[in-house]
Amino acid sequence: MITIRKSHERGHADRGWLNTYHAFSFADYYDPAHVGFRSLRVLNDDRVAPGKGFGAHGHRDMEILTYVLEGTLTHRDSMGERRTFGSNVIQVMSAGTGVVHSEFNASHTDPVHFLQIWIEPSVQDAAPSYQEISFAPEEKQGRLRLLAGPEASPAEPAAVIHQDARVYAAVLNSGEKVAKTLAPGRHAWVQVARGKLCLNGQDLNEGDAAAVSDERELALAGDGPEGAEILVFDLA
Amino acid sequence: MQDVNVVVTFYSYHGATEKLALAAAVGAVEGRANIRLRRLPDIEAETTAEGDRMNMDYVAPREADAAWADAIILAIPARNFSAECQGYIASLEALRSQGKLNGKVAGALTSGSDSALPSLCGALARLGCVIVPPGFAGPAADAVEGAKLQGRRVAEVARALRQAGIR
Repeated sequence: MITIRKSHERGHADRGWLNTYHAFSFADYYDPAHVGFRSLRVLNDDRVAPGKGFGAHGHRDMEILTYVLEGTLTHRDSMGERRTFGSNVIQVMSAGTGVVHSEFNASHTDPVHFLQIWIEPSVQDAAPSYQEISFAPEEKQGRLRLLAGPEASPAEPAAVIHQDARVYAAVLNSGEKVAKTLAPGRHAWVQVARGKLCLNGQDLNEGDAAAVSDERELALAGDGPEGAEILVFDLA
Repeated sequence: MQDVNVVVTFYSYHGATEKLALAAAVGAVEGRANIRLRRLPDIEAETTAEGDRMNMDYVAPREADAAWADAIILAIPARNFSAECQGYIASLEALRSQGKLNGKVAGALTSGSDSALPSLCGALARLGCVIVPPGFAGPAADAVEGAKLQGRRVAEVARALRQAGIR
């Protein structure tokens, strides 16, 4: 079963400095029909104005993934990390017992566009940690590049998270195809970060997503003139 | 669990008080509070490179932060009340005079010497807050661990008061 979540049906807030779309209930947006999918709790599609950002605030017991699509972010946290990063990077903060962090647009001239993802951990009170994995753009071209998973993957370095979930990124040119097999009992969330995607014969536009259950095979193809950049979540 | 909001407001010249404020904020998060961490902008102090950095890293406190908070933690350097700190206390006067600070929890932290602590707690008490003093974090605990413990205690006391219907 594939359930489409259209871009325009998402929660939306435009605060001037922040233009954000919420796939799931977040902050002032609450819809009991959309409070998460499996362990995926938050997927925010954020655009932050130059020089602006999220001031210091805290998190507890959450795996927080940040994936930049365009521009650069400066991250600072209570573990002493101070990092500036852009696209082709996955940043994961395991909040565990508690972290305080801020995220600002590193540029004073250009906006930054990124996805912020929260995955509920399977354990409470983990030690807080910060991971940042960068990769070459070719690694996500025409294939699913693992960004995060429950165990270390020496062949393809990825962030380790406290949950039985795997997160992949892919860039698919128009007509370029990739298949993903789901093990029995597994679920998937497919998020179109930009462009157009064809998923098992269904058209998805930028910002659209699909919740997938009881399917064995995902057939993913770039569509339209530009193709697509997507994130795929393989969830218990 | 009862939601509880903690705002940590600090002033720091070179980053030492910032470390304590950050530890207090982490302690409050450990105590399952929602937190905001705010730095007072420079008034009297000459601008330093660290000050410039902190002005970029932190938002200045607004009245709405104190109104939002169930608990306020104030962290200042170990000098007598600076203009920055006095300005912050004065900025809370409007909320106090409307009775909006009654029963909020407050804690104070100073970096280095704690000689300014009693007067700082006194100022917060005059605003109508319930004062939570720094706790005993253990014989070998350093100032950062002490600040973390205080952050957690402030969050826990604020939650207990809310659960008891006291605010």
